[in-house]
Amino acid sequence: MRRLGNELGFLVSLVKMNLASAMEYRASFVSQALGMLINNGIYFVFWLIYFDRFQEIRGYRIGEIYLLFALVAGGFGLAFALCGNARRLPYLIAQGRLDYYLALPRPVLLHVLMTRCDVSTIGDLSFALIAYLFTGRLSLPEMTLFALSTLLIAVILVSFSTLFGSLAFWMGNAQQVSNQATNALITFALYPAGLFRGWTKFLLLTLIPAAFVGAVPVELVSTRNPYTLLQLALFALAAATVAMLAFHTGLRRYESGSAINVNI
Amino acid sequence: MSALLARVRPSLVKYVAITETNLQNQLAYLWDFVWRSTFMVIIMFVFVRLWSATYESQGATQIAGLSLRDTIWYLVLAETVVLGNIRFAEQVAEEVRDGSIAYTLGRPYNYLLYHFANGLGDALMGAAFTFLSGAALAWVMIGPPPGSVSELPAVLLVLALSYVLDFCLHGIIALSAFVTEDITAFQLIYHKITFILGGLLIPVDFLPDWLQQIARLLPFRLIAYASGRLLVGFEPALFWEFLASQLLWIAVCSLLLALMFRWGMRRVSINGG
Repeated sequence: MRRLGNELGFLVSLVKMNLASAMEYRASFVSQALGMLINNGIYFVFWLIYFDRFQEIRGYRIGEIYLLFALVAGGFGLAFALCGNARRLPYLIAQGRLDYYLALPRPVLLHVLMTRCDVSTIGDLSFALIAYLFTGRLSLPEMTLFALSTLLIAVILVSFSTLFGSLAFWMGNAQQVSNQATNALITFALYPAGLFRGWTKFLLLTLIPAAFVGAVPVELVSTRNPYTLLQLALFALAAATVAMLAFHTGLRRYESGSAINVNI
Repeated sequence: MSALLARVRPSLVKYVAITETNLQNQLAYLWDFVWRSTFMVIIMFVFVRLWSATYESQGATQIAGLSLRDTIWYLVLAETVVLGNIRFAEQVAEEVRDGSIAYTLGRPYNYLLYHFANGLGDALMGAAFTFLSGAALAWVMIGPPPGSVSELPAVLLVLALSYVLDFCLHGIIALSAFVTEDITAFQLIYHKITFILGGLLIPVDFLPDWLQQIARLLPFRLIAYASGRLLVGFEPALFWEFLASQLLWIAVCSLLLALMFRWGMRRVSINGG
């Protein structure tokens, strides 16, 4: 128990250091966060125009889209604000940059993932909060479920990135594969679930689990069904377990280039 | 006339050679283009599902004069133009930031034309892969493209000019690095305007009237929207309108680009090697 507290304290220190480091360059911090806020806003403008003309699509109205965007952007923001290295994992593996982490007495995977904060994700988090305010779901149970869903989405996203990033242990350069897989996941997650049926729906519940990043959390916050919460939590747990197994299995194949790297 | 051609030809050969060289370089990275085109497949798949459901729920065969097949093939071409455009702005900004522009300026070519020719090699490969992957998906899920072969030269002319106009607008953003150094914000704003007013995410015909009027006053629809719109519903009057607007905007932007370049060159200091 003491060890767990010790490790948690270390991870909290990492997050604090990352934020302090990001805040060092205030102008860059603000411009990146603001840029991402605008970026997300433009996709939202598309849906505003769409629903202004068509009103509804497969059970989704503008209110559901507010919630969908709030959840996906919130989950994405939280995931890569805390674990900014998740999307750089293929690069770190291919460049032999894990040596630094392997030499330290800390959990390797968590240490690698949490050593960096992706600054632009602050814009995603801000966007998520603004979009959630527009949903009008401001009761305590709804806000609690929103926060919980966001956390579980973040776990799924980091696990997914880690899983595809770990392919670098076998493939060498897996950055393109990993990027495209994450792009696919986010793209599918940001559209109403009813659009996808049959084998596509099966795919979005398994290999590219976009349904667990978008549709299922939307259903959870809308219906407050404890069974849906259980489904989401179990999937997040399974995703994290598979990602850890993949990383540690791959780590046995890791070869450093004896390169000298300076971690700042 | 022949004297003018004799002067222009060696220059033209030089830039064609630059494009060819870059094209050959890109051929070494075929798998990168295959991976890049997977995004096109994903986004087109989502669009097919979205617009199929939209037409179905509206119980309409046409929306704003476009059928489902028109909308999907329009989006294939619009996405191709934007995903396969000439990417050079960041490189120019980097050269301005680190001062390496001082070395490239001394070389025997026009700096901007070099970037156009060099970027064209990459863009041609990117556009080809993007279009083929998107077109294959659209063909399988929706059917063959509308329009006839006789209209294709006119569509291709507008498509080619949309690349030139996009290059000019990106050039203006790139050269603003002489003042701001970092151009990320300008690029982001430009891309996002293209999404809506350029018709990348949704055909301009589907926008509310007031937004369509704004789009008509700006050059962005002449990049992503123009060629796609002509492909799915060719009208001679529309073709001439797009062509005249593109030429006008290219002239205005080229002039601005040339002035910015001359002004920027005065700010470059070369302090030995």
